[in-house]
Amino acid sequence: MSAGVPVRSTRRRRVATARLLALAGATVFACWLPFQLERGDVGLYDRMGLYALVAIGLTLLMGFAGQVSLGQGGFFLIGAYTSGLLTMGLDPDTRLVDPEAGIDPLLAVAIAPLVSAGVAVVIGIPLMRLRGHYLAFATLAFALIAWSFLYAQDRFTGGQYGVTVAKRLAIGDHQITGATHAALVWALVGISLLVSTNLVASRVGRALQAIAANEPAAAASGINVALYKLQLFVFAAALAGLAGGLFTFYAQFLGPEDFGIIVSLLFVVMVSIGGLGSVYGAVVGAVTIVYVEHKLRELGTHESLLGWDLPSTGPSILSLGVFGLMLITIMLFFPHGLLPGVVGAIRSLGRRLGASRGGS
Amino acid sequence: MTTFFQFVVVGISTGSVFAIVGMSLVLVYRATGIVNFAQGVFAVLAGLLTYSLVQHMPLALAAVLATLATAIVATLVAVVAVGFRGRTTHLASLIITVGIAIFAEAVLLAAFGEVPRSYPAISDRAWDVGGVLIQPQYAVLALVAVAASFVLTLFLRRTIVGQALVASADSPRAAELIGLNLRSIAVIAFAVAGALTAVGGLLLAPTVPVTYSSGLTITINGFAAAVFGGLVSIRLALLGGFALGVLQQLVVGYVDSQYSLIIALVVMLVLIGWRSRGELAV
Repeated sequence: MSAGVPVRSTRRRRVATARLLALAGATVFACWLPFQLERGDVGLYDRMGLYALVAIGLTLLMGFAGQVSLGQGGFFLIGAYTSGLLTMGLDPDTRLVDPEAGIDPLLAVAIAPLVSAGVAVVIGIPLMRLRGHYLAFATLAFALIAWSFLYAQDRFTGGQYGVTVAKRLAIGDHQITGATHAALVWALVGISLLVSTNLVASRVGRALQAIAANEPAAAASGINVALYKLQLFVFAAALAGLAGGLFTFYAQFLGPEDFGIIVSLLFVVMVSIGGLGSVYGAVVGAVTIVYVEHKLRELGTHESLLGWDLPSTGPSILSLGVFGLMLITIMLFFPHGLLPGVVGAIRSLGRRLGASRGGS
Repeated sequence: MTTFFQFVVVGISTGSVFAIVGMSLVLVYRATGIVNFAQGVFAVLAGLLTYSLVQHMPLALAAVLATLATAIVATLVAVVAVGFRGRTTHLASLIITVGIAIFAEAVLLAAFGEVPRSYPAISDRAWDVGGVLIQPQYAVLALVAVAASFVLTLFLRRTIVGQALVASADSPRAAELIGLNLRSIAVIAFAVAGALTAVGGLLLAPTVPVTYSSGLTITINGFAAAVFGGLVSIRLALLGGFALGVLQQLVVGYVDSQYSLIIALVVMLVLIGWRSRGELAV
């Protein structure tokens, strides 16, 4: 017994080190990539990273807590407007905005996830004890409330016209824009992946897996189910807030279109592609959705498509239709996610081929 | 005081629609365990179909055809939302109905365009009750909501089909053992709920124009009404709908119209939080 343990733990340590090195290598590559991309593609690549941050949090929540949040866009929104408005000097009475008076953008980006997490604590405490559909609607309601506030408080947010953010993210004299911004975002994606995988592998992670497998049994063995779920909910909200805070200095503009309900629903589609609970899958889902949305927008602006005259709403029709169908088909046929489903199918096919070869 | 009662009257009429959608959600939830996120889409579909049909035929005929068509669409939604036995969980079903709601927006946008549509009400006269104007449309909406609550309660309690609906949600396995087909149960529930919501939607459109994206707010207001009754009580969903409608109109009248949805949603969040004391997530 005492002889066996070190061997096993060495192997486990080796596997862990190999994984860590692979993740580090992939992160370095992801941060190097934007400097090689054409200028038009950098924005798209940056957006992929921002959405990946949100999707990583959501996939943990959906996969381990069995809770669906239809309101991650709300936390994204809070992060974005928190960091954006903090960098401006606001005067509630004269409604004047002084672009020079606000706090440093770097500090604003750091505050954004804290505000989102704080909101998540307040709405999460009563909700985490409830069945999944209550949280789904409550988070949706929350996202709608946040969105409605953009219009109700238009003297700060600019309402439907939005507001331009003048200050730029910078460390000292070095501006973080364009490819540098994208590199920063993907570095944070790498760190989030590291934190998430460690979380899953830790004591917390084992508790979460027990909850995911059999909630009453987990509760019976002394796991505080509601507390663990709340922690995941807050972690997911903080990641969405961080992504929102960074989004502000990606777009340098805040308007309601980037934070509509459909954005929240898109995060669910991303997670369903990558697999519920799979953090790497969430990144794949985010990259896929941003790319597909980009391509659909190109397609939708054509005058006609396959002999059908496209109206001016073509891009909306195409993306709503495709993403709706995607969500339906994936949840029907691959309820654990498209990526794991396809991988599993290929594996079982390979096994069957191997078996038949071995048999003949 | 007259103004106050005017707001209450308008509130009861919009609240009737929330109540109708809320009761439809309760019916589907009690029968299948699924919360149908696409329920509001049925109201929009019926409203827009009636708008298109009424150009060619009398209003009554257009309304009947639109209701039937919506009920048929609802049966299709039922088949997809229930999914495969043993593989599709209730949470997966909820996400599927989210997908259906997104897809439906694309179809409605392509078919009817983005302009909000409306058509003439049943009558353009209004009754004057002590200075408060009551349109016949309002009265019909409220009557439909109240009648629906009685019919649905009797249906669930007194008829064989109603008992089967409730039994299949309480214990799917036992229901199957005594020979109930869960898929047909779901289809019946979705069709009845779809037709009911359709009637609500086509009565709403003359006072509040509807467009492809109106379904989301209708669903969420209906859900808020249903939450009053813990998603299981038809009568409390009715009361919840009325209360929510009146509250929203009072906010529009005395505070600011931009806060009406916000207040309603906050009330719903508080209600859900309050409900959480009673129900445990198992």
